Amino acid sequence: MTDLPPRIADWFASKGWAPRAHQLDVLASWQAGASALLIAPTGAGKTLAGFLPTLTDLIDGDYEGLHTLYISPLKALAVDVARNLTTPISEMGLRIKVETRTGDTPASRRARQRVDPPQILLTTPEQMALLLSHPDAPRLFGSLKRIVLDELHALVTSKRGELLSLAIARLGLIAPAMRITALSATVARPDLLRDWIAAPVPDAAAHLLTAQGGAQPHLSILATDERLPWAGHSANYSHRALYDTILEHKTTLLFVNTRSQAEMLFQGLWAINDDMLPIALHHGSLSVEQRRKVESAMVSGALRAVVCTSTLDLGIDWGDVDLVVQVGAPKGSSRMLQRIGRANHRLDEPSKAMLVPSNRFEVLECEAALEAVEENHQDSEDPVSGGYDVLAQHILGMACSAPFHADALFAEIRRAWPYHDLPRSQFDRVLDFVATGGYALRAYERYARLRLTPEGTWRIANPQVAQQYRLNVGTIIEEPMVKVRLVRGRGFKQGQTSGPIGRGGRVLGEMEEYFFGTLIPGDTFMFGGEIVAFEGMRDNEAFVSRAVATNPKIPSYMGGKFPLSTYLASRVRTMLDSPESWSRLPNQVSDWLRLQQFASELPARDSLLVETFPRGTQNYLVCYPFEGRLAHQTLGMLLTRRLERARARPLGFVASEYALAIWGLGDLSALIRTGRLSLDDLFSEDMLGDDLEAWLDESALMKRTFRNCAIISGLIERRHPGKEKTGRQITMSSDLIYDVLYQHEPDHILIQATRRDAARGLLDIERLGQMLARIRSHIVHKPLERISPLAVPVMLDIGKEPIFGEGRESAMADAADELMKEALSGRDRP
Amino acid sequence: MSQVLHQAEILETPILRFAGHTFEPLPSGALFWHAQQTLLVADLHLEKMSSFAARGQMLPPYDSGMTLRRLEGDLRRTGAQRLIALGDSFHRDSGTTTLPPADRARLDNLTAMAEWIWLSGNHDPAPHALGGQCLPQLQLAGLTLAHEPRRDAPGLVAGHLHPAAQILVNGRSTRRPCFVHDNRLMILPAYGASTGSINILSPAFVGLFHWPSLEVTMLGKDRLYPVSPRRLVQG
Repeated sequence: MTDLPPRIADWFASKGWAPRAHQLDVLASWQAGASALLIAPTGAGKTLAGFLPTLTDLIDGDYEGLHTLYISPLKALAVDVARNLTTPISEMGLRIKVETRTGDTPASRRARQRVDPPQILLTTPEQMALLLSHPDAPRLFGSLKRIVLDELHALVTSKRGELLSLAIARLGLIAPAMRITALSATVARPDLLRDWIAAPVPDAAAHLLTAQGGAQPHLSILATDERLPWAGHSANYSHRALYDTILEHKTTLLFVNTRSQAEMLFQGLWAINDDMLPIALHHGSLSVEQRRKVESAMVSGALRAVVCTSTLDLGIDWGDVDLVVQVGAPKGSSRMLQRIGRANHRLDEPSKAMLVPSNRFEVLECEAALEAVEENHQDSEDPVSGGYDVLAQHILGMACSAPFHADALFAEIRRAWPYHDLPRSQFDRVLDFVATGGYALRAYERYARLRLTPEGTWRIANPQVAQQYRLNVGTIIEEPMVKVRLVRGRGFKQGQTSGPIGRGGRVLGEMEEYFFGTLIPGDTFMFGGEIVAFEGMRDNEAFVSRAVATNPKIPSYMGGKFPLSTYLASRVRTMLDSPESWSRLPNQVSDWLRLQQFASELPARDSLLVETFPRGTQNYLVCYPFEGRLAHQTLGMLLTRRLERARARPLGFVASEYALAIWGLGDLSALIRTGRLSLDDLFSEDMLGDDLEAWLDESALMKRTFRNCAIISGLIERRHPGKEKTGRQITMSSDLIYDVLYQHEPDHILIQATRRDAARGLLDIERLGQMLARIRSHIVHKPLERISPLAVPVMLDIGKEPIFGEGRESAMADAADELMKEALSGRDRP
Repeated sequence: MSQVLHQAEILETPILRFAGHTFEPLPSGALFWHAQQTLLVADLHLEKMSSFAARGQMLPPYDSGMTLRRLEGDLRRTGAQRLIALGDSFHRDSGTTTLPPADRARLDNLTAMAEWIWLSGNHDPAPHALGGQCLPQLQLAGLTLAHEPRRDAPGLVAGHLHPAAQILVNGRSTRRPCFVHDNRLMILPAYGASTGSINILSPAFVGLFHWPSLEVTMLGKDRLYPVSPRRLVQG
């Protein structure tokens, strides 16, 4: 049993508290000279657990220099923790200086912190990278004893986690006595997280500590007598019931998956808000001031409900939330558990949460999530392994701090967990990329950013390189955004595309630039809780006016960022395959499944059901892989290429989280029946070879992925000393760069980096590969006379979701034919 | 059916009539003037990527090679005796000295294949000695050839603006570089592998064209697409 210093023990006693077991465990690990990973639910007193060793160490208050670094993914969290720490420190009468350092910290204070640091510094991964790029880093961090990493589970799945791991590897060299305490929510593979924190401190053990779980959450699915929609994501049917639920609770957090869902739900609730309840909206497109206003209103208890997206997944403690509602698919069980944890930050009381499916498939997904949560099953993502783009950024940063030997830097980098198996050859290529671009054509030796000195060390070629590095540090790449400004409408007539736009009014917020690329003036969509009409673009601003329409014409639903987890997907497949479990489902859903059994069949657990049927003048192929929209999109792209070669004349496809529908002119059932088309060949894994290559060559998703890698690696600058590029300028040029590079060096280190990202990210090739392997020779074909009940939802998505298909050239051909017809009809022809 | 095919053929090799002359536009963005055995190209922007490298951004040094290879193909295919580059052939004047050796050799080859005329542009105002003549602008067969478009010179063929057209058909939009002309002015698309483009509905083009006689020809993968100006959208 660890003894607390009397001053701290007295403080606990004065509060009427006893230190929790896991808080003492963290202290014991520290005193045993070990690092520690503490897995604890929210509300378990994690902050205090993380800092107890520091308070104990600094009880005499005469420590010279920086003792503890606290790193969290959010600025707001750093500020909040500073506040939570200052209170006990002053109540215990300790002389410990605590300071934050974020992008918002004034430059003068940041400069002073480097010379005269506090004992506890609270900061972010980006600030760490910046601090380490200065020549004085060894002096500043030489005294470091502890690093506290907060919300580690959220950091390790992103590039920010890679950047952080590299920074910590450097700290491990500067301050070998340093130990790490990491705090994390419950994850699927805690052992990997422990390895992650053990890697940079090879001499010390790393303990895995688990706090006693809180009370089992009360989780339910909204029961309804309303008709459940077949498709769509608006969950309109639930608004009345949700409103009544908000009335019954003190404060409700309503999570949705996308911004447009947030908009719809917010509008729906206000439409029936007869009691004028303070209900607010929080998502990433709203202006920062607006979001801060909502957050402080929430903290002061002035709100009854907040409709929000993943922007509130992490962050400061709200205190009084007594109900969490998830509207729409929960996507994953760990994700759901973490969202539930946002309610009731008191450990001993159960959190209360409700799931609201927005369509019938989502009923299955919600049911699967409910069971998974009851079993406390985790399906969180594993930590990502190291990207070359982040590595390039780090190598440049290290060169800015001091010249380095390649051998020594390589050994150091391998101590960062994501890079623990980085081959030397890849390291050398990245180093070459940083120095001169890494091209086979050695054209840039004279412009080199890094040069090899006669002593065999690499150093920056000139001070501007460091200046450029510091302006571009970080891994968070914003989509190019445009401001959305409200103006007076012009009263659109169809086809009218020019004319002056009224003078600018207030800015409603920001939105991705590419969204406006698909609009023509007069199109209506929902933004900031109201329906607006697109008026036009000018100077990186989109002008909109208030529209009278009752339904927006353009569904700006762009899918959630997070695909359905593999684990929940397999649970849904199992549920479909076991009719005895359907008694848990609402009647309208189990009836639907029975109809499917009758009209076609149900997808079995380990096979792939493929239905083909005619409808109107076209033929459809619908399959049900349950692998998430991103993997289905990629599958759709590849299948249409193959169907084209098989002369099945495909026209387009639409992908949902659960299914994929492709349509075309060829009679697919007949092609399969007569053996001219084999489904086993169509779905064979070799589509991930040449077909994938041919598509990647021109894929817009690949180009978007490349853009991020190019910016992070420093190939393209976000900011150049003296001027700032707009998103559009970066996007256009990065597409051109991709084209040139892909044609000449498809094996260039940045193309490799892009492929690795694409495999997991926007193209989800990894998951598609696993699915194709699973269903190999397990394809069940059902030729049908007409659409099956299970196909209805995805067929309804046609026209609502973006449609893919060859498009581009054929759109121009159509326009050209039209012009030709017009030209010929206007003439007298013999 | 045969009529459809016939239409398609006409479409795939459109002829542009401008100021009393006929031209054959190529999918690469070059314009072949058969009567003069002349190939016209605008805005090659050679050595654009390497000009970024000088500022610390190591963009791939392959754009000049791509542009020159494309040009070589067009010269061979058309058998043109003369090539006129309508300015901004180099992204900056110093680009004439930074061509990698292989690209320099390729260019020497090309200037030996045909008579070259380099018109100066705002990016490359200075004359150079890479073969052929360097001129500010040129009169040929009643037409004026120059870098920057303007309204007051009937029969002007120019570049500079990197025109592109965006159309929306069945909810899908496509944006491509294009040739754009009316009865007085013809603007060529940018030819260089590293060049971006500007929508012809954007303010940069305001006042240059007489809208009712405007003709727009978009570049496809391996053919050209004439489209009605009424199809154009912003973006």
